[in-house]
Amino acid sequence: MSLLGTGILKGMAVTAKNFVGSYVSEERLTTVQYPEEKLKPQEAFRNFPFLVFDDDPDKGIRCVACKICEDECPPQCIYIERETDASGKPVPRPKKFDIDVSVCMGCQICVEVCPFEAIKMDQEYEYSNADRFYGLLHDKNKLLKPNEYYHKIHPKEAAEVDAKLAAKKKKPAAAAKPAAKPAEAKKPAAAPAPAPAAAAKPKIVIPEDAPFNAEQRAWLSGFLSSITQPIGGPAATAPVGSAAPAEAPAAEAAPATEAPAEAPPAEGGEPWHDQSLSLEERMKLAQGRPLEDKLMAAMAQLDCGACGYDCRGYSAAIASGQEKDLTLCAPGEKPTADKVVELMNAAGKA
Amino acid sequence: MIQPLSDVKRPTGSALDAAESLLETQQLEVSIGPQHPSTHGVFRMDVKLDGETVVRLKPVMGYLHRNHEKIAELAPSYLASMPYTDRLDYFCSMTNNWAYAYAVEKLAGIEVPERAQYIRVILAELTRLVNHTCLIGFLVNDLGALGTPLLYAFREREKILDLFESVSGARMMCNYMRFGGVRVDMSDEQLDVARQIVDAYPRFLDEFEQLLTGNEILLARCQNVGVLPRELAVNASVTGPMLRACGVDYDLRRVDQYGIYERFEFRIPLGEHGDVFDRYYVRLLEMRESLKILRQALKDVPKGPFQANVKMRNFKPPKGEAYGRIEAPKGELGFYLISDGSPVPYRYRVRPPSFINLTILEDMCLGQKVADCIIILGSVDIVLGEVDR
Repeated sequence: MSLLGTGILKGMAVTAKNFVGSYVSEERLTTVQYPEEKLKPQEAFRNFPFLVFDDDPDKGIRCVACKICEDECPPQCIYIERETDASGKPVPRPKKFDIDVSVCMGCQICVEVCPFEAIKMDQEYEYSNADRFYGLLHDKNKLLKPNEYYHKIHPKEAAEVDAKLAAKKKKPAAAAKPAAKPAEAKKPAAAPAPAPAAAAKPKIVIPEDAPFNAEQRAWLSGFLSSITQPIGGPAATAPVGSAAPAEAPAAEAAPATEAPAEAPPAEGGEPWHDQSLSLEERMKLAQGRPLEDKLMAAMAQLDCGACGYDCRGYSAAIASGQEKDLTLCAPGEKPTADKVVELMNAAGKA
Repeated sequence: MIQPLSDVKRPTGSALDAAESLLETQQLEVSIGPQHPSTHGVFRMDVKLDGETVVRLKPVMGYLHRNHEKIAELAPSYLASMPYTDRLDYFCSMTNNWAYAYAVEKLAGIEVPERAQYIRVILAELTRLVNHTCLIGFLVNDLGALGTPLLYAFREREKILDLFESVSGARMMCNYMRFGGVRVDMSDEQLDVARQIVDAYPRFLDEFEQLLTGNEILLARCQNVGVLPRELAVNASVTGPMLRACGVDYDLRRVDQYGIYERFEFRIPLGEHGDVFDRYYVRLLEMRESLKILRQALKDVPKGPFQANVKMRNFKPPKGEAYGRIEAPKGELGFYLISDGSPVPYRYRVRPPSFINLTILEDMCLGQKVADCIIILGSVDIVLGEVDR
């Protein structure tokens, strides 16, 4: 039994060591005099999300308003409205993009699910505000920040993202060249027949050994199919007008239920694969086509990957019965879901 | 004239009783909390006192109820519950993440790559260090050692939290584990930082022990206070350091050997008396064992993939149910999931260690002084985010 009080004295020695040590050793004095002194945030530090734009805040915005983040956000703090042009057609850009940072918990899931690298995590942390409602409701203008800013706060991650985006841009361009040449997309009237043929095989453009995983592959193939064919109303409708009649009777003749299995997908091109068209217009373009094509025309044509496929893949999966969930097209919202159900009912499959 | 002391007539036992029966005494009801610094959050103890002795204690919980389980059943996806698990026991978000990921991996039959397993063990054991260091700080704070030991504990904790931040992006709300691995890889520099922390930690623990363990006040206040009988602990399904302080050799790292714990050599410290001091000391010893595991894990963490290929969106586990449990710093943390094949669980249930360890609070406090209630509660190691969910 030691002398009473020695334990306390030993403890006092420790506090004395720390007290004296705090004058000489950095390790024992760790206090930072915030707000006069501030530590530089670590590179990985995240707080609340912001939107990235390239060059111009209006045209360079990466967000296409596909609403995947809005869907996946655990506390549901994101609100998005898509832009429409003068004639009421949807434009792949957000009109409204609000994040309620008083609800946001900074979990980064929106960043992880975004297929367009459009939303990233900010490091700004001094958000105190006297207005507890609108002061903490960040709108698009407040959220938009240039890519350079992203490079400044997350240099390593931003460089990786840039490389990825550059590769995405380059790959389709290189791969599309041979396919696009015979199509002569700029002359809609000339050579309508080869155009569908060229656009018919968008999926095999990506070589098997290319370094992509399944998700990226699906996205890319959708992306490729969207650029290997002419975009825009007159250019797109021209080939259909001349090429479709030849196939339409065949498709109609076959019973609707068997059509998807027999008709190879994308025969006659995918003129509806243009996100600026309205649902009605797209459905018109797909008239007389097999079920799978009709289903695809009902999709939002973003190839955003929200459903886990691209637009073609999802419609193929529905038509073949692999995918039972008919409501996965997030950007298409209710009209698309209703249309898909309607089409499936008409085909007697739902 | 002064009477000699021996001549003073002292009341005998019966005379004292007689005097007391003449005085009207009353039992006093005291409500400790919900806003009370020693209740570690919003928790209330309805205490009935006879003088200073506790004759009844009713824990009142639910002030911090956030509907965690129902939110998970209505969330957009399985993944969307991951950040919410951070907020259960906000001291140990890494182990919470792990337990949830483990349950989902069991449900969907996902294999976790080697490197991810090692990273998980490293971060989980660091979390154990954070939790136990802070708990001891809070416990002596409850004893009246205001500030000093707690701040030393926080100083050390901050080094580990800095590492967590550089790895996951957040100090406490890490949201780091994913089904089939971890979100981002740990770089070599980060592993080196972990090695430095592990190398420096024993020195801090020695100092901490020199400061506290031999202290006469701490011994007097903690020994033979709040004794938890072994049978009661087992019957009340108490787990974690609370149970081991009673001398029951039960640690899921040994019993279940989840993850890769069978590869590491470590001992399981056991208490003898089950009093507050044993609970304090078991935790100190456990930290030294955690350091042992960390040293082994950091030595042979392999290179390779850190994430199995699991779809992040539209992740639908097959129909079925699974219960995944791990040894969180506070005890057995389990997630019970029922899947109906949809993207969200049909039923999501958390087995929180602090809630279940808290159920025997009254049994430990009866007959103790009211001041001891506070340290008994402190030694249970609760976080109200987990108790109330």
